[in-house]
Amino acid sequence: MANNFKPNIIGFLCNWCSYAAADLAGSSKLEVPATLTTIRVMCSSRVDPVHIISAYLQGADGVLIAGCHPGDCHYQTGNYYTRRRFALLHKIMETFKLDPERFRLSWISASEGKRFSEVTKEFAEHIEKLGPNPLKNKPFIE
Amino acid sequence: MKGKIIPLKDNLNNTIKEVIKSLLEKGCFDAILVPNRVPSGESFTYLLINDQDFLESCTPLPPIMPIQGARALRNLTRRGKTSLKVLCVMRPCEIRAAIELSKLRQVELENISFMSIDCPGALVTKDYIDKPKDSDILYEEVLDQWTSEHLRPTCNTCVNFSYENTPSDIHIGIIGQQKNHILLLPISDKGNALLGKIDIQCSDEISSWQTNVKEILQKKTDQRNNSFSELQNKTAGAENLDNLFSDCINCHNCMRVCPICYCRQCFFESSDEVRIEAENYFIKAQNKGGIKFPANTILFHLGRISHMALSCVNCGACEDGCPMDVPVAQIFSYIGDTVQKMFDYIPGKDRNEPIPILTYKEDELHEYEDSKGQ
Repeated sequence: MANNFKPNIIGFLCNWCSYAAADLAGSSKLEVPATLTTIRVMCSSRVDPVHIISAYLQGADGVLIAGCHPGDCHYQTGNYYTRRRFALLHKIMETFKLDPERFRLSWISASEGKRFSEVTKEFAEHIEKLGPNPLKNKPFIE
Repeated sequence: MKGKIIPLKDNLNNTIKEVIKSLLEKGCFDAILVPNRVPSGESFTYLLINDQDFLESCTPLPPIMPIQGARALRNLTRRGKTSLKVLCVMRPCEIRAAIELSKLRQVELENISFMSIDCPGALVTKDYIDKPKDSDILYEEVLDQWTSEHLRPTCNTCVNFSYENTPSDIHIGIIGQQKNHILLLPISDKGNALLGKIDIQCSDEISSWQTNVKEILQKKTDQRNNSFSELQNKTAGAENLDNLFSDCINCHNCMRVCPICYCRQCFFESSDEVRIEAENYFIKAQNKGGIKFPANTILFHLGRISHMALSCVNCGACEDGCPMDVPVAQIFSYIGDTVQKMFDYIPGKDRNEPIPILTYKEDELHEYEDSKGQ
């Protein structure tokens, strides 16, 4: 099972940096895992904790939130709020023992195509090691 | 701090009423927002009064809390500040919730003053409505012992039942005093001025009352720690969490009675969330091996926790309003305590301290960021 497990990873990417970095990774012919499904958001702070919990409860194996480096937010301060929200959610998931290691917050700027490739590859490997989301076959837990 | 000892006039509520009356007579306030027994006698609700006759029937410390005071105040100031000066007589948790709402710009506190009372807790509303007369007698016992199995579970584990952490203007101390007198304490400068206007000089020692408060605080802290260590096991893992919420019927009543949940259009009741195509349910069902209807029970509760836990004042309104006896308030109390400690935040304690989620520091929380490849 572990060998042919192909994870399903959701990536919320900020329009102004990480989404552009994904684009750059593609045009630079860098490898990006095929298991990553991207969702473009106008700012990483647009991602409500509910979106992340919803992805997890519906069976996503990993959730990545990627935005501009602190201080570089297109809207000045959005990613600082993202960090607080993510920390809050992480703490809640940790307290309830709901796989906090399946959630990740990364800063990837528009020029960091290589970093985008590395972060997503590393995260995909990490999720493959963790195995499938245990909630996949639990219709009552959602 | 010094206070003023007021001898008890036949009972606790009547003594507090006298103080309120003199504040109204001296023109300190135009109106009072205070709990009143409903005409059927079975329950209590908030009344905005400036009529002496209605004031006669008010109950400053009712045995139950069917309406959270902050919600009453939210209704009053929904369209902005009141031009009238209003005194709100509330339990400490209701005042703290009102402060949180003011930070969320849902309550306007200008022209509003607060009078808080040492709170022994509230009885479970459903039990009270069944036997109002017996419950009234029961509440007298609660006031004696300051703990009871008939109280809401979160009230027994409440550590903010007195003036500390509650920014009211005038506090009424009753712990260990109810047999013969009450204590009037000016908490703010405004409270001091108000007491001055009704010719009350605060020069009495309050150390015996403070000792009593500390004693009760210790007892409640122990109960709180016990309850949290139980909850730690009960909430660990998705399956355990699901067991706790398994009776939930998705009525969303916990959200409606919550003083802090203020969104007029809640995400969980928005058309995007509720009205999705049947095909989308099939896709969800394929991913999960099946899908439960109504959907999104755990998502609703975890979502509400992620939105609300930082501001949760542990009033217990959610659990009291739950028709299925899901221990919502206990879970909120436990997780709220955890996340509030993370940001060193006590909801409602300080009027000027922003809610952690509405502010940030530039250099913080790096342990939650991905450090790889930096």
